[in-house]
Amino acid sequence: MGFLSSILHWLSNFYDEYLGFINFIIRRWEQVLEYTANHFSLVLTVMFFSLILWISVGLLISRYEKLANTAFGIGNILFVIPSISLFGIFITIPMLGLGRTSAALALILYAMMPMVRNVYRGIKSVEWPIIEAGRGMGMSPRQILFQIQIPMAWPIIFAGIRVTVVMITGIATVATFIGERNLGRFIHHGIARESADMIIAGAVLVSVIAILLDYILGKIEDKITSPGLRKEQEQS
Amino acid sequence: MDFEMERFISALIDRSPPHALVHLQLVLIPVIIAFLIAFPVAVLLTRRRFVKYTDRVMTFFNMGQTIPPLAIIAVFFPFLGLGREPALFALTIYALLPIARNTLAGLKGVPQEVKEAARGVGMSEWEMLMRVEIPLSMPVVMAGVKISVVLTSGTAALGALVGGGGMGAVIFAGIDFFRPELIVAGTLVIGAIAIILDRIITLIDYMLTPPHMKM
Amino acid sequence: MIVLDKVDKIFPGTTVPAVKQVSFQVDEGNICVFVGPSGCGKTTILRIINRLIEPTSGDIYIKGKKVSDKEVNPDHLRREIGYVIQQIGLLPHRTVEQNVALVPRLLKWPEERIKPRVKELLDMVGLDSNEVIHKYPFQLSGGMMQRVGVARALAADPPIMLMDEPFGAVDPIVRGRLQDEFLRLQKEMKKTICFVTHDINEAIKMGDHIVIMNKGELVQHGTPMEILTEPANDFVKDLIGVDREIKLLDLTRSSEIVDRNKEVLGETREKDCFISALDPVQRALETMMKNDSDIVVVRDGEKEIGTICWGDIKKLINKLSGEA
Ligand SMILES: Nc1ncnc2c1ncn2[C@@H]1O[C@H](COP(=O)(O)OP(=O)(O)O)[C@@H](O)[C@H]1O
Ligand SMILES: [Mg+2]
Repeated sequence: MGFLSSILHWLSNFYDEYLGFINFIIRRWEQVLEYTANHFSLVLTVMFFSLILWISVGLLISRYEKLANTAFGIGNILFVIPSISLFGIFITIPMLGLGRTSAALALILYAMMPMVRNVYRGIKSVEWPIIEAGRGMGMSPRQILFQIQIPMAWPIIFAGIRVTVVMITGIATVATFIGERNLGRFIHHGIARESADMIIAGAVLVSVIAILLDYILGKIEDKITSPGLRKEQEQS
Repeated sequence: MDFEMERFISALIDRSPPHALVHLQLVLIPVIIAFLIAFPVAVLLTRRRFVKYTDRVMTFFNMGQTIPPLAIIAVFFPFLGLGREPALFALTIYALLPIARNTLAGLKGVPQEVKEAARGVGMSEWEMLMRVEIPLSMPVVMAGVKISVVLTSGTAALGALVGGGGMGAVIFAGIDFFRPELIVAGTLVIGAIAIILDRIITLIDYMLTPPHMKM
Repeated sequence: MIVLDKVDKIFPGTTVPAVKQVSFQVDEGNICVFVGPSGCGKTTILRIINRLIEPTSGDIYIKGKKVSDKEVNPDHLRREIGYVIQQIGLLPHRTVEQNVALVPRLLKWPEERIKPRVKELLDMVGLDSNEVIHKYPFQLSGGMMQRVGVARALAADPPIMLMDEPFGAVDPIVRGRLQDEFLRLQKEMKKTICFVTHDINEAIKMGDHIVIMNKGELVQHGTPMEILTEPANDFVKDLIGVDREIKLLDLTRSSEIVDRNKEVLGETREKDCFISALDPVQRALETMMKNDSDIVVVRDGEKEIGTICWGDIKKLINKLSGEA
């Protein structure tokens, strides 16, 4: 009996010491929901505009090679700017200031590199004979784009979307420092108040969400890839 | 809020240098330690005895990469407290993944025919590793180190949150006090550090490349 | 049916013309084979005919209509011309069914017409339609892919076919079979075909008419017999090669040299020792070698009309080489 109770004692100590964040999450459940909702609405907004903007840009530069280098140059520069700086720079622009617009714009810029690069790569991965066959059968440039190039590039484009969603979800946490009330806020305030539970709760929540998103999108990626392409990838 | 050139130059010249030095440490130390850990581990993982685990480890690394940088920086703070060390520790973990991933990918990418040929001329496992596999995979490994440098340099800006100092301190001051010149100056220095380190690695890579493989 | 008139093509960024002052005509229902070394401009000519590229100068007429006019919509033109591309170019993300149905769907055929057509085509090119119809290209062998490529080009029953080394990517045995099957098909289809190959043997076997090309220029054209018996220059002679006589055997029907008087010998009546009167003499020779005998029985339909023996073939060879 003594043995059992000492195990229970140890367990409860362990819980207090390391799993206190679970209590925190349960206690602040409503706040968790609010922050999560805010987090996702920001990510969704960003993805909505990113998909429209960056897929178009990706298609454009795959057609006009000269633009490609410029686009990748800009993308590389954006890539070395720390997220906190980009958020900071946007809030100092007079029209924008603190708030969601700044956060969203910064994140849309971050989405450029993975999105544009994958659209470009995807379109370029369609080999010449396949396009030639399409033309030879009498497909118009539009039909070739929508029936050959985009479907064949789609797995690569989708992989880019997946990376972007996960990345944006992660970086969005940093937007708490420019006033976003999202999951980053637990980490932000947790550090300020030196509350271990709060920090760990924030870190665990965003990490779990990111990993889950990546996993779910990965499953979808498998589903939507044409078996014809999937097997080809496996073989190579 | 307006941008004054004078204050910007002062931010860049007077305020930044000591922070820049700390920032450089926050990048270099984690990347070097991460390389010293990740490279041998990745090499080991591609040896015949462990090769069946590589895919699983790769999945694990990929998962690790999805964890938001802010979470990694923050999560050690409750255990290690404020200061440079927790920042360095977290950044090292963060720097590990790209290097490990690229080393694995590079070694796995060495064509089977080349390895067969090496075995054919009587190289031992060790000789093959040192003279064929590592040299051939070096470009991919170095690309991983570069990614690691850029990511770490950006993430290190968050190190200031847990008392690690560095250029992040300048940027956060800029945000807290609405001082655009501090944010821009901090960003430029971080960018410069990333680019200079990138060039240095390119140079190292070039020097390490055997003469006949240079283009 | 197809006429090219002084066609030039200089690719942008190059100075040497890929095709230089090429004129020829392909008659309706004929197979015209373009043959020549790699890079001599064969593919370029096909791509000019269906306007995948525009000629630098010169005109192209199909059925008397000038198709090199700017008014002709090239996409619509191409839907009327079957095209088998050199690299096969099946769409990897689509099933065999979707690949073959490509042009009918572009032409907005009703689905109930497409389904049976695809089956019919696959069976026609010698594939088991039930087996392959839902497969993806990567699941097919090289020979099967080429058959699907031909089926795709035939799908909308175009009167004209452009075939760029359609049997190039398979081993010689399969190639021979594909050639035989296609010739049999063509007997019924009577399409007007431009057929490209770099293999003179294939050209002689497939062609009603042969166009020999070198470095973008038309070197000689004529029937296979004309090319073999009257090569225009050394280039053509080299192209034909040393076994010219053997090739001629391919062009002579067995009925032309069959010995109708000789009594049919009992021991030659083994199953494989029969050939058809329509078969080329080459087939008689092959049958002899396969059966290790020196005589074959020639049949016209069910009727045995005579025999060909080794001596008859030798006589023919002597005669042919005498002509040259
Ligand atoms: N798009 C192109 N741009 C430039 N040169 C080309 C192009 N296509 C073909 N050529 C050149 O034209 C010549 C003829 O090519 P092609 O018609 O493909 O030859 P073939 O099919 O007989 O092998 C070759 O020298 C080739 O390099
Ligand atoms: Mg060709």
